[in-house]
Amino acid sequence: MNLTAKNKWILIIFSAVAGFINGFLGGGGGVVIVTLMLAVLKLHQKYSQATALLVILPLTFVSALVYLVKGNVDWIPTLWATLGVVAGGIVGALLLSKLNGTVAKILFALVLIAGGIKLFF
Amino acid sequence: MHIFLLILFGFLAGIVGGMGMGGGTVLVPLLSFLDISQKTIQSINLISFLPMCCVALIFHAKNKLIVKTHIWLLIVPALIFAVVGALVADVASNKVLRYCFAVFLTVVGAWQLVVAIKFAVLRKKKNKQEQHIDEER
Repeated sequence: MNLTAKNKWILIIFSAVAGFINGFLGGGGGVVIVTLMLAVLKLHQKYSQATALLVILPLTFVSALVYLVKGNVDWIPTLWATLGVVAGGIVGALLLSKLNGTVAKILFALVLIAGGIKLFF
Repeated sequence: MHIFLLILFGFLAGIVGGMGMGGGTVLVPLLSFLDISQKTIQSINLISFLPMCCVALIFHAKNKLIVKTHIWLLIVPALIFAVVGALVADVASNKVLRYCFAVFLTVVGAWQLVVAIKFAVLRKKKNKQEQHIDEER
């Protein structure tokens, strides 16, 4: 697929924004990257989500490295939480095919809003 | 430290992440219930994501779901600014980081809610139209 110059700049600028968010907040860049792939590259949801991981993996790795070098990593809680995340990840991947897409999306959006409000207090 | 809660919160966020819906956005607010600084929470989120992401990528590559065209236009600027963002986070206070995360989550959540509802309404309309066509036949 050929991209117009304008679309190339949109990709570059918004992926820079996604990178900054991911480094500054320790996550969340994926939402921006998936949206870019859906809107600019016109990929389907499945392909966008899968390919976004290929972008997010290296940028999460370098951000984590900066946190490590700057002394912002505490390994003990990190290892326990990682253990949980990996176990949960396997369960989530198995559940994926059994959940209604729209219901899951609305629930997820509500969880995000609740999480955002919680962080204000 | 609260080992049980760390594993439990990780597990819950992992389920969401495994379904491909951004588990990190769930892990950060959950961990904020524990007595951990925002910067440590963010580093936990980054590091715990790495093994999950590697496994998921292997599966997606096998299923041929990875599209590599124009990928460098995304990776290069994202990489540079990820380093910048992490450096800015180091000098920012935990309070500022937490508020920024709160704003980010609320905005993304509200936006996702609108998209999900729009999508559901669109699909309902489409189903109705198809029913009409079937009835006319």
